[in-house]
Amino acid sequence: MKYYKFGDKTGRYIGRTEKYDIYTSTITGIGKDEDDHEERTQGEIYFNYGPSAGGLRESVNFRLLTPGESIRDVIINSGFKRRNVKITGDSISDAMLKVERINGFHSASHSIAYALAVEDALNVENGDLNDARIVEIELERIRSNIDVIKGLCESAGFAVPEKQLLLLREEVARIISSAFGHRYYFSVNGINSIDGDFSRISLSSIEKQFRSIYNGLLSSKIFLDRLQENGILLNPVSSGPAARAANFRYDARLDSESLIYGKYSTVMETSGDTFSRFLVRAEEIFESINIIESYDIKKSYRKHRMELNGTGEGTARIESPAGDLFYYVNINEGRLIDIQMCSPSYLNMRNFRYGLKSGNIFTDFFFVWESFGIWISELEVGFQ
Amino acid sequence: MISYYIPLMAIFLAVLISIKYRTAGYIITAIASVLFFLFTFRIFDYITYFYLIAAIVWIITSVFSISYSKKYGRWLAPLFILTIAGMMTILYANNFLVFITGWEIMSIPAYLTVAINKKNDMEAYIFMLFSEISTVLIITAAVLSYYYTGTFNFTGLSNDMVLLIFAIGAMSKMGLTPFMISEWLPIAHGSAPANSSAIFSATMTLMGVYGILKIALLSPVSIDIGILFIIIGVISVLFGALYAYISENMKSLGGFSTIENNGVLMAALGLFVAVNDSVLKEFILISIAIFAMAHSIAKTGLFISIGHTGVEYFSAVNGGKDTVNQVGKFFAMSSLSGLFPSLGGLGTWMVLESFFMGAYLYGPLGIASIIAGSLIAMGEGFATAAMLKIFYFTDSHRKSRGKNLENYTILGTGITLVFLFAVSFLIVGKNYISGIPSVLVFNGFMIESRLGVSDFGLITPLYIVILLTVFTVIIFLVFGRPKTRIANRWNGGVEHGEYYNSSTYSNNIRLILKRVLRTKSTDENRVETVDIFWLIMINIAKAYRNFAKFTAYKIMNSSISAYIAYMIAAFILIIIIVSLV
Repeated sequence: MKYYKFGDKTGRYIGRTEKYDIYTSTITGIGKDEDDHEERTQGEIYFNYGPSAGGLRESVNFRLLTPGESIRDVIINSGFKRRNVKITGDSISDAMLKVERINGFHSASHSIAYALAVEDALNVENGDLNDARIVEIELERIRSNIDVIKGLCESAGFAVPEKQLLLLREEVARIISSAFGHRYYFSVNGINSIDGDFSRISLSSIEKQFRSIYNGLLSSKIFLDRLQENGILLNPVSSGPAARAANFRYDARLDSESLIYGKYSTVMETSGDTFSRFLVRAEEIFESINIIESYDIKKSYRKHRMELNGTGEGTARIESPAGDLFYYVNINEGRLIDIQMCSPSYLNMRNFRYGLKSGNIFTDFFFVWESFGIWISELEVGFQ
Repeated sequence: MISYYIPLMAIFLAVLISIKYRTAGYIITAIASVLFFLFTFRIFDYITYFYLIAAIVWIITSVFSISYSKKYGRWLAPLFILTIAGMMTILYANNFLVFITGWEIMSIPAYLTVAINKKNDMEAYIFMLFSEISTVLIITAAVLSYYYTGTFNFTGLSNDMVLLIFAIGAMSKMGLTPFMISEWLPIAHGSAPANSSAIFSATMTLMGVYGILKIALLSPVSIDIGILFIIIGVISVLFGALYAYISENMKSLGGFSTIENNGVLMAALGLFVAVNDSVLKEFILISIAIFAMAHSIAKTGLFISIGHTGVEYFSAVNGGKDTVNQVGKFFAMSSLSGLFPSLGGLGTWMVLESFFMGAYLYGPLGIASIIAGSLIAMGEGFATAAMLKIFYFTDSHRKSRGKNLENYTILGTGITLVFLFAVSFLIVGKNYISGIPSVLVFNGFMIESRLGVSDFGLITPLYIVILLTVFTVIIFLVFGRPKTRIANRWNGGVEHGEYYNSSTYSNNIRLILKRVLRTKSTDENRVETVDIFWLIMINIAKAYRNFAKFTAYKIMNSSISAYIAYMIAAFILIIIIVSLV
């Protein structure tokens, strides 16, 4: 493990795996959770929403504690989508097939983080793939951020920009499909290998179209009114766009050595509300395009299956579209004997709750929910 | 002549009997009220409507009390009946002295009832304070009337000052803005039993309306006082309805609803005082009588519905649903919401018509009239929301079993309101009754609102009731009993475990108007309403106390020099005032 060690907590909190709490450079045992919910008082009810209801992409149940209209707290149960993946004992290349399917929408992030952890464990030299992997993740970030902004438009009932963004998301997916042979990066990433033609990536049209939609949204007072001062989160224990929207310069692209970024400017906002998260997500699309263009990779990579039989422990932490994504692997003669994953959705879900209970009412719910870009699929996965 | 006083004698006799025999006391009260009711057909003018109203409420509450008051001590019955005796004395009064006597006979047992069933002393003292303020002002008005007319009899007045002072006195009893606390506090927190709350709210405040109307009929037209009454009335309507909507204490809701109803009556009285047109004036008078009648009967229904729950707060309601109870409650709440087919619907329609016709008077009164009409209509909207809260949240979600006299009393109240609505063409003056035979609305069945010769608005209550009944029967005959298919509600895929409650129902307004309503949670985690007018009064009282302390310590501090300075200043001030006069 080049980048992590077991021990006391150091640096900022990244999140929790099934067995460990993760910090920026250390792994610790699971600490005591002091996350108490508000007491229910006279006249208040738990308003149920989900797990199977319109407006929810994945199965999750919310019990909104409310005296009517205002939301005092929320109890979240995401266990309806719990998946226990039988993975230990698999060879590291077979395990990749399962890892990349944990969250199809962020498949590049998961598969690259896993590959990096394995390469760390087995001391595989991977420097020549650093830039290509960054391009993959940034391309995925563009699509993911477009999807989050689409969700905000949907919440506001803005059908035209919503459909425009859906089209744009589809166009990005087609670019990915054209370059990598699969729109969700399945079977693209391997241990020390990539399969894709980077010369097919052209984002000038995407940038132009997105800027037009983005400017349109910024000029809509109705849209801004729905987002501003809503779901305020100024919690230092946060991650990804939610942290950067609250003026915390948290970014694995800056403080993780798993992938080495070149010139890169962090997008920051200060208010910590849904609007700030929207701005960060939108501006990061432009920043991701800049990063991809700055690498200007025009070559084609061919995947080669590597059967490695080494032994060791490895970790990787990268900045997925929603925040820090961490993988830990323990390999014995080419087979996984332990794998731990900490997704950004863990902290984002906690912070969604804090943001929602900060003086919001029912109609704010969807804006706050969409602005965090949470994926239950990566949150509720267990490795066996 | 002596037979005329039989009801009055009977009711005082009932007071004595009830000390020993509670049920007999209530029965005699009901009989006395029936006899009093019969007199209303002997002396016919619009003022007589108040006898009719009071008698109906007393009959209903007396019958309800037979079963209800078993759980209270021996003093409830005599105090309850003595309060009614006081009110009857007021209605018999033809001079100020008898009126004031009746007013005190009505008030003293009322605050004794609050004091006996007290949680703490404050409620009874506040009730007494405002009652005595009203008595002092009414005595002042009586003295002033004597000064102008040379008699304590109710005779014509050439000056509107008596009306103004009398009205302020009555207002403090009716709980109108800014004296709202005199109505809701003793009812909500004084632990007054439901039967007493019903007569406090339904008929005691009605005595104020009756008194003001009586003096207004003797007073000259006054636009200034009229507009003042309209303003007070409209503010009371809006705040009363809003506070009712957000109240979690059921009796408090009833108290605020009374404030809202009294506000409507006060505004209508204001229009009556300000208007000179005899046709419109008479229509307003009938509107007041009909509205007061609807309010009193329906409010009785509301309080006995609340009393029937056996608890004070919506959150504690645990009684089952009963169809008889629900039908009665439905019509009583419809009436208090100003909806057809109930007498309250007619009363609200007539009051609103009066104000909208008032727009044709032009000038300040015309403007005040149209604004008041619009705001009252808005207040009625809030009142509907408050009544829905009572209708829906005063029983739990399960069916109850067995029969109960209280349920039938509630049904009786609702049916009375629908019946009076259907036959309202008989109690509205002939000048406002007509018909359109060409469309089968025969002469004598249609009520017209009118300002002059031509009509302004039309309504046919009997036709409404008949058509609703006929169509209901036809639908029933054609389609039979409704085939109900019960399906479990989809609750996102999980078991249904929560019900929407009264607090969540009205929390939207608490949030939207939080700066005005100042809603707060109490120590018991209950949401309470804060009467801002009472807060202002308390703040003024505190400021005055601080000023008095300051004066005592800084000026009146036993310093001879300070006293001499004070006396010189007072002497100079008096000389200046005298020289100016």
